[in-house]
Amino acid sequence: MTIRDLTRRDFLKTTGAITAAAALGGLPTDLFASGPRMATFPEKRELILMTSRPPQLETPMHIFKELITPNDALFVRWHLANIPTYVDMKEWRLKIGGNVEKELQLSMDDLKGYEKISYTAVIQCAGNSRSFFEPRVAGGQWGHGAMGNVTWTGVRLKDIMQKAGIKAGSVDLAFNGLDSAPLPKVPDFVKSLPVDKALEDDIMVAFEMNGKPLTMLNGFPARLIVPGWYATYWVKSLSDITVTTKVFEEFWMKPAYRIPDNDCGCVPPGATPKKTVPINKMTTRSFVINPSDGTTLSKGKLIELMGIAFSGGHSIRDVIVSVDGGKTWGEAKLGQDKGKYSWIQWFYPWKPEMTGSYTIMCRATNAIGDSQAIEKLWNPAGYLLNSVEKITITIS
Amino acid sequence: MKQILMIAAIIIVMTAGLASSGPGDSIKSIDLPDVKTVLADGPGKDTSEKFCNLCHSLDYITMQPRFSRVQWTGTVNKMIKTFGAPISDEDAKVIINYLATAYGNGK
Ligand code: HEC
Repeated sequence: MTIRDLTRRDFLKTTGAITAAAALGGLPTDLFASGPRMATFPEKRELILMTSRPPQLETPMHIFKELITPNDALFVRWHLANIPTYVDMKEWRLKIGGNVEKELQLSMDDLKGYEKISYTAVIQCAGNSRSFFEPRVAGGQWGHGAMGNVTWTGVRLKDIMQKAGIKAGSVDLAFNGLDSAPLPKVPDFVKSLPVDKALEDDIMVAFEMNGKPLTMLNGFPARLIVPGWYATYWVKSLSDITVTTKVFEEFWMKPAYRIPDNDCGCVPPGATPKKTVPINKMTTRSFVINPSDGTTLSKGKLIELMGIAFSGGHSIRDVIVSVDGGKTWGEAKLGQDKGKYSWIQWFYPWKPEMTGSYTIMCRATNAIGDSQAIEKLWNPAGYLLNSVEKITITIS
Repeated sequence: MKQILMIAAIIIVMTAGLASSGPGDSIKSIDLPDVKTVLADGPGKDTSEKFCNLCHSLDYITMQPRFSRVQWTGTVNKMIKTFGAPISDEDAKVIINYLATAYGNGK
């Protein structure tokens, strides 16, 4: 019996009970050669299990055939074991404090009183694709599925901060959520943005994903959205915003979540960067989604190669595709444009006339000319990976 | 067919019920599943399971690639020095030996 069967059976067995027990006990992960470990968490379909406490769940690649990632399929990433599992909206408040004219304590109704905004944006974990680093690095061993494309609805952070009134001499906005540390010395998960960044028009306090309240595991009741930047800043279950008069440099800003301070954010494999900066904008990426890696298809039949492309807040200018391992390239047709923060689908019809093994690659370039290298970059924390992806299929 | 749809609908409603609350209710709560990870056999397994399970599940260990002794030493030290894991020098040695063997790359 595979673990997948176990999970599914247990899930069915306990559906309707209070706990959906995905008991996976008794086997070391070394034995999971038959495929990834899967688990079903509340408000989620069966996803790839990274860790259970705190929950970290990855989306299987086939989900990305859809332009919008369904709420129950979106990845989950928490840092500290005490995650919110219970929120009483009568009690919940978003508190704004620190170097402001007027402290605020906003209920959800107060929050919804601000002008509503909505856009589609890629959410991607800073550690997405870490398991593809060479040499490997410690941290969450994500495949490519710590990402998704979601339509977020909420209000502008700028509007809230205008009400509070940011005082002169302010430097950063620090964001804290309802999660807390399991032992006293573990640093609380607090992230910050420089004031100028935080007050950009598109920074959102979101309370809906794809038209529904946020799922608990994706940050109910409200989370920060920093479109174009890695999701480490998109603080979930937001509870406190504090305006600081000094650069905010607690653990999760420094030394955690840093990249080498140079153009590529990279160093030679194994090297230690001399100087680092907080990770920020996402790199340009593209993926082949259909067919999936390792598929066998038949000769002479039209195949609709399909994939996705996105970058850190700039639209995608073009995507080129190679079906011969990078020797020749052709331009793909781009799908519906849902704005500069969304991913865009690409399509490339192709009729293979000869049997054999084919390496299919895609490469995106964004509106300001940023693209993807063939060679993988490297840095000690396993961030920013955006080299050209390839899949191999067989034509028989 | 209708019956199948009905059953499907019931399952969906019940699944949703695991997480959310009825309309008008101000409380939302979820129950997390109890997922167990057991480490590979070997000397030091019990000590590792005892301490490395305090702040997070053991799959933090099992998901890592196979690391060298130096790398595992770095990780264990990070847990102690940065995160305040209450592990004595003696126990740390036992854990490092265990990890370097059971989850090591031989280097
Ligand atoms: C005092 C709390 C605590 C204890 C005890 C603890 N850890 Fe951790 N561990 C953490 C935190 C916090 C993280 C970072 C979580 C994150 O980023 O998701 C972490 C992350 C990790 C990671 C991921 C790689 C990394 O460096 O972030 C590994 C591997 C790990 N722990 C192994 C261990 C081992 C082995 C032990 C037993 C010696 C242990 N942990 C005990 C708190 C702890």
